[in-house]
Amino acid sequence: MLITLLETVLRLALWLLLAPLLPGLINKVKAWVAGRRGPPVLQLYYDLARLWKKGVVLSTLASPGFIAAPAVGWVAVVGAALLLPLGPAGAALSFRGDVLLLIYLLALARFCTVWAALETGSAFEGMGSVREVSYAVLTEAAILAAVLSLCVHSGGLSLAVILTPSAGAGAVLLAAGLFTVLLAENCRVPFDDPNTHLELTMIHEAMILDHSGPPLAVILHGASVKLLLFSVLLVQAVLPMADFGPLAATGVLAGGVLATTVGVGLVESLLARYAFKQVPFLLTLAFLLCLFALLVAWKGGAA
Amino acid sequence: MIVGAMLSTAALGFLGGMALGPRHPRLWLGATLGAAAALLAAALAVLCGLVPAWEWRGGFALGGERPHLQLDAISALFLALLAVIGGAGAAYSRGYWSDHQYPKSAARGRFWWSLLVAMMTLVLVAANGLYFLFGWELFTVGAFFLIILESRGRKVRAAGWLYLAASHVGTLFLFAFFALLAERTGSWELGPQLRGVAGLAPLFWLALVGFGVKAGLFPLHVWLPSAHANAPSHVSAILSGMALKLGVYGLVRFSGWLPVPAQAGWVVIALGAVGALGGIAFAFAQNDLKRLLAYCSVENIGVILIGLGAALLGASHGDAAWGRLALIGALLHVWNHGLFKALLFFGAGSVLHATGTREISRLGGLWTKMPWTAALFALGAVAVAGLPPLNGFVSEWLVYLGLFDAGIEHGPVAWAAMPVVLMLGMAGALALASFAKAGALVFCGAPRTKRAAHAHEAGAWMLGPMVVLGGLCVAIGLAPALLWPLVARAAGAWNPAWTLAAETAPASLTTLGVVHAVLALLAISAATLLWRRAQANGLQRGPTWDCGYAAPTGRMQYTGGSFAGVASGWFFWLLRPERVVHRPRGPLPDAARRVEYFPETVLEKVLVPVGEGVLRVSTAVRRLQHGRLQYYILYLVAGLAALAALVLVGGAR
Repeated sequence: MLITLLETVLRLALWLLLAPLLPGLINKVKAWVAGRRGPPVLQLYYDLARLWKKGVVLSTLASPGFIAAPAVGWVAVVGAALLLPLGPAGAALSFRGDVLLLIYLLALARFCTVWAALETGSAFEGMGSVREVSYAVLTEAAILAAVLSLCVHSGGLSLAVILTPSAGAGAVLLAAGLFTVLLAENCRVPFDDPNTHLELTMIHEAMILDHSGPPLAVILHGASVKLLLFSVLLVQAVLPMADFGPLAATGVLAGGVLATTVGVGLVESLLARYAFKQVPFLLTLAFLLCLFALLVAWKGGAA
Repeated sequence: MIVGAMLSTAALGFLGGMALGPRHPRLWLGATLGAAAALLAAALAVLCGLVPAWEWRGGFALGGERPHLQLDAISALFLALLAVIGGAGAAYSRGYWSDHQYPKSAARGRFWWSLLVAMMTLVLVAANGLYFLFGWELFTVGAFFLIILESRGRKVRAAGWLYLAASHVGTLFLFAFFALLAERTGSWELGPQLRGVAGLAPLFWLALVGFGVKAGLFPLHVWLPSAHANAPSHVSAILSGMALKLGVYGLVRFSGWLPVPAQAGWVVIALGAVGALGGIAFAFAQNDLKRLLAYCSVENIGVILIGLGAALLGASHGDAAWGRLALIGALLHVWNHGLFKALLFFGAGSVLHATGTREISRLGGLWTKMPWTAALFALGAVAVAGLPPLNGFVSEWLVYLGLFDAGIEHGPVAWAAMPVVLMLGMAGALALASFAKAGALVFCGAPRTKRAAHAHEAGAWMLGPMVVLGGLCVAIGLAPALLWPLVARAAGAWNPAWTLAAETAPASLTTLGVVHAVLALLAISAATLLWRRAQANGLQRGPTWDCGYAAPTGRMQYTGGSFAGVASGWFFWLLRPERVVHRPRGPLPDAARRVEYFPETVLEKVLVPVGEGVLRVSTAVRRLQHGRLQYYILYLVAGLAALAALVLVGGAR
């Protein structure tokens, strides 16, 4: 009992402490491609510490939900992260259908962000919310297709089972599809530009314009956990984790997450943000990639 | 025979309610609540297995048939929901449709409410085709009079007539269904003994149409949006929460009692998936809060039918376990949808009561004036969007599990299960969008009109039922494993092969409940902690910043129409919006205007044109009848000549 508790705390600490590293790494890669020195890798940690100490400016229109929603959203994302197995360590908790809980916890986090954004009554935040909820329709379909392909391939329904074997022949398709979903769900280029200074063109950043102080820190931290979650999911979905020894698997997982992060950085350096009219097409492409992965898994299972 | 005693008590309560209700509102409320409590007790006793399924045959004949009533687990499941919604709606109407405000119609409303709930009960317990039809017809009529309670509005009357006409088209199919059933079996008696009778399977299609109209099955849902939007809100709640469910009950009941054709499962799951996605696409586009809720009911009926379709497929593919899982999910969703949709309609009613409008674009910022309603509506919105840790997620999760298992099994059913999973996922994402819109645009931000700014909180009679329904939503979300044996018993009554000796919830459902509880606890603590932290750091109030607003006004916010713009554009081919656009022109433009209206596509683009075509043809044909004798004689002569020609030609052969 005590050991389980200790393990969960350790796992939680790992997720919470490592997550803010990823945005720093992405920024470093971007700076490196552009020939700049860039902000320090630990910049987000400094930002979070600073924001946690700052005061809050609250819109006169905002209800207590404006502060509660980021907290609930953060709990949802961290809860979803704890459901994910970590290579050889397995998951903190595993049951049939936990993968659906993970998807819907992320949806709950989205609902909270959107709700808080609409609390302010601002048009920019309305725009961000619309894009968030609309594009989610397509990403949800893509994620479900990816999950279905993993389930059909492995014959299981819990994350610990479906993420263990390799994705089989459809791995490349799945990797491409899930990577695109990762970019979309985490509001990275080419779907969203986290660094733009034009609110009209943002999704996630537009929704959190009015947040400040500790709630903003919680939102930023939650976003970084979500990025780490998707990277871990992607790596384990694509690579055959069961084929490695415990130590090698840990190394492969860490290396894979690092590679994904660098990949995101490279994409951001080499691509411009797409016009919003093109975003649905790109998401449909991601959906089709996952759907073809599903078909491959189906055929593979029949053979 | 405790069940019989309970049901008799309830019947007495409803009769008393009908007799005394119009004059004595307090007595009526007491009688109705007492009757509801008796119904609930009877239903739970059967569901929990405390007493065996109840059956009663009268020793006398009424209308040529001896009464035959039964209460098995399936009927009890629906009856429990009826009791909760019937009671909650009665209490809500005391604040919402008071004698003070509506001196005439409130009295009528009480009579029809008692009749409606009583007749719904009769439908649920009838085991004789004649009595079933009798209850069905009277419940339809009762609902009609409740819809047109405020009959001064033209729209209300139109909605009422549309409901009545559509319902009777459905009833017509049911007449055919029961008559053919009686003809083939030689009696009006219903029950599980019909399962083995050969030749009854094709009748399922008649039942599908007849009950489908009432359930709001996707292309047959034409009556649903306007009736739900224009009825008084407590009536909308029972229409959506219970009347639609009686359609579902019919489908569940008669697919369990009668043999079904081999294609039934495929058709039902396909209709469910199309309805889920189509219904929510319509819902997202609506600007009328209650119409949005109504279309969302179409979606949820779709979810239930997906589960039922999977169950039919499972039953015809060797009684597969995934079919059972999907059926339990569907039956639990019957409860869940009834609870959160009634909650949401009550919330919408309170908004309408406080502001006098249902248009999302005229509301906004209501939380300051109605904080309790806002919080409860938000709770309902999370539940209806199928998000953890509330009840909507639990039932959708069970349906998903059934579909995933069917997909993993790699059989022929996987070809239905996998696309349906994807459609269900998209419908879920759209439901989230719809309820972010319905909740946040109505209750958050700045008021868009003066009416919204001068709203007032609902009274205790209106809030009380909402608290009860919200509490039930939370309870089912946090402890779903407790309900498993109850719903599993109903699934066992549907397909005896799925009756298990020991009814314990699967471990995954128990775990899900624990995870939900932990998450809810953590979320509440995190929110409290963050609020404390923000206060400790210093909380400053100021106008919305939004990159430099000087003086934000309500009109500058995103409206319902703009919120739905992106995603409803993808469903342009289905929604067929009608737009009136006057663009600003020239250097000094005068008024510009843009009006967007989302018609009920099936009704206005398919049925109305067809109806107009029929009218045109019949108007043209009517010219033949004009009262001039000489022409009639000409017709006669022409007709005789034609007959003679026919005889001649035939004779030549």
